Amino acid sequence: MSENTITNTELKKKEVKLKIIVYLVSVLLTLMILWPIIMMLYEELTVGTVVAGPYGTFIEQEPTRYFLTQHPFRDLAKNWARFTSDHEGMFIGLKNSLIVTIPSTFFTVYFSALTAYAITAYEWKLKVVFDKFIIVVMMIPNTVATVGFYQMVYKIGMVNKLSMLILPTIAAPMTVFFMRMYLQATFSKEIVESARLDGAREFRIFNQIILPMLKPAIATQAIFAFVTNWTNSFVPSIILIDMKVKTLPLIGGGTIWYSYASFVPPIIVYAFFSKHIVEGIALGGVKT
Amino acid sequence: MQLNKKYTKWGYIFSIPFIIAFLIFHFWPLASTFYYSFCYLKHAGNTNPEFLPLIGKPLFKNFTEILSSVSFKDAFKNTVFFFIASFIPEWILAFWLAATITDRRLRIKGRAIYKTAFFFPKLVEGTTVSVGGHLLSGIATFVGMTAAAFAMDGFGIMPEDLEFFMSVKFFIIALTVFMHFGITFIYVIAGITGIPVEVFEAAEIDGANRVQTFFRITLPCMKPMLFFITVVTIVDGLGMNEIPSYFGAFDTFRRNLTLMMYMQNQAFLGSYAYDRASAASVLLLLMFVAIAAVVYYILLYDKDEAKLRKAKRAERKAMKKGA
Repeated sequence: MSENTITNTELKKKEVKLKIIVYLVSVLLTLMILWPIIMMLYEELTVGTVVAGPYGTFIEQEPTRYFLTQHPFRDLAKNWARFTSDHEGMFIGLKNSLIVTIPSTFFTVYFSALTAYAITAYEWKLKVVFDKFIIVVMMIPNTVATVGFYQMVYKIGMVNKLSMLILPTIAAPMTVFFMRMYLQATFSKEIVESARLDGAREFRIFNQIILPMLKPAIATQAIFAFVTNWTNSFVPSIILIDMKVKTLPLIGGGTIWYSYASFVPPIIVYAFFSKHIVEGIALGGVKT
Repeated sequence: MQLNKKYTKWGYIFSIPFIIAFLIFHFWPLASTFYYSFCYLKHAGNTNPEFLPLIGKPLFKNFTEILSSVSFKDAFKNTVFFFIASFIPEWILAFWLAATITDRRLRIKGRAIYKTAFFFPKLVEGTTVSVGGHLLSGIATFVGMTAAAFAMDGFGIMPEDLEFFMSVKFFIIALTVFMHFGITFIYVIAGITGIPVEVFEAAEIDGANRVQTFFRITLPCMKPMLFFITVVTIVDGLGMNEIPSYFGAFDTFRRNLTLMMYMQNQAFLGSYAYDRASAASVLLLLMFVAIAAVVYYILLYDKDEAKLRKAKRAERKAMKKGA
C-alpha cells in the first residue's frame, strides 16, 4: 500500500513538471505568434506613410484621417466620398475577391461532400477505383499544371473571367478525402434506409441528413478553402490582367485599409465557423 | 441487397460534377503541360506548340536543357532543404503539443485559444509581408543579442557560427514554420480526438507510459489523418513559392529559389519559356508522385487486404478453370 502511494506521488510530480512545460511552451508560442501581428497592427495604426524626400531622406507623413475629422458626423457623407475615391482599387479588389471566394468556398465544400457521399454510401462498380484515384490526385497540387491551365484559358478566350477561378474549385480531391474520412466514421446505412422508406429522394437525403452530419468537417474545410482562395495570388496574377477584374492580393496598397480589407474577411469566416471546427472524427452521428 | 441495387446509379450521378470539373480544369491542363514539355513553345502569348521531333530537334531537349542548368539544380537543392528543415521541427512541435494538450490525465486548459492563436498567421496571410517583417526583425534581434553575448563571454562559439541564423534560408524556414504550424496542429488534434477514449483507458490500465501510448496507440489509430497531414505537408512544402518569393523573385545567388519559383520564372516572369516551364513541372510532378507513392505504401497500403484480394482472384480463376 505504502509503496503504491510513493509511486503515485512520484508520478504526480512528474505530471506537474510536464504540465508546467506544456503550459510554458504553448503560451510562449502563442505570444510569439501573436506578437508580430499585434506589432503590425500597432505600427499601422500609429505610424504614417513614409515617403522618400529629397537627397535620400525620408519624410514621415501623418496618416490621412478619413473619418475622425472635426465634425465626424456632419461630414460623414463627404468623408465617405473622399475615402471611396482614394481607395477605388481596394473596393474593386474587395468586390472581386468576394465574388471569387464565396462561390469557390461553397463549391469546394458542397461538391466535395457530395463526392464523398457517393463513395461512401453507394455500391457502384467503379467505386474502389474512383476512391484510389482521388487518393492519387490529391497528392498532385494544381500549381504543377499552371502552364497548361494558362494555355487553355488563353485558347478558349477566358482571360479576365473570374469564373476561371471559381469553376476549378468544384474538384478538390483533398477536401473529398477529408470529408470521406469523416463520413466513414459517422455514416450509418440505417438512417439513409429509413429516410428512403419515408419516401425521401436521394438529393433530399443528402441535403437534409448527410450535410448536417458533416457539419464539423464542412466547417474545417470551409475555413481552409476560404483562406486559400482569398490569399491565392499565383494563378489569378497570370489570368487576370484587366484592372477591373483583379482580386485583392493582386492590387496591394500602401495604407492600412488595404491590410484591413485583406485580413478582416478571413477572421470573420473563422469566427463564424471555428465553433464547429472538427474535434474528433469519430464524434457525432451514430454511437457504437 | 436487392433494394440497394436500385440506388447504385446515384453513386455515378453524385460524382459527375467532380469528374467533369476535374477533367476540364485539372486533368486537361496537366496532360497538356506534359505534352508541352516535349514541344517548342516560347514567347509571351504563344499558344501554338510545335512538337520537337517534327521541327527536327531531340525529343528530350527541354529536359536536358533544364537538368544541365545550374539554377534548376540549386532550386532542387533548396526545395528539398527547405522542405526537410521546415517540416521536421514543425511536426515534432505540433505532434508533441497536440498529444500533451489532448492528454486526458493532464487536463490542459485553453485548447481553443491555442488553436486560434496558432492558426492566426494563416488568417492574416494576406498581410504576411508586414507580419513577416516583424517576425524577422524579432528573430534577428534575438540572434544578434545571442551573438553579442557569445562574443563577450566566449563559450567557444563565435558570431560566425551563428551566420546561418542570419541568412535568407533560415528566415524562409522560420516563416514557413510560423505560417504552417497551426494547420498541422489543428489536423493532429482532430486526429487524436477522433480516437475512442476507451483505447487510451485500456492502455493506461495496461501501464503504458506516454511515449509508448503515443507511438503504439495514437499514431497507428490516426493513420488516415496522418496520411492527410503528410499529404498537406508535402504539397505545401515542395510546392512552396510565396514565402521564398518575398525575398525577391530573382536572387543573384539563388538562395531562395525553389522549384515552383523556377517554374514560375521560366513561364511568366520574363523568359516566357513555357516549354521549359512545362518540363520543370513534369519533373516536379514526378517528384510528387514518387514521394506520394512511398507515403501511401507506408501509411495506407493494407498488406492483409492485398493478400486477401490476391487469394480471391486466384479462387475465381480456379473456379473458371473448373467450369
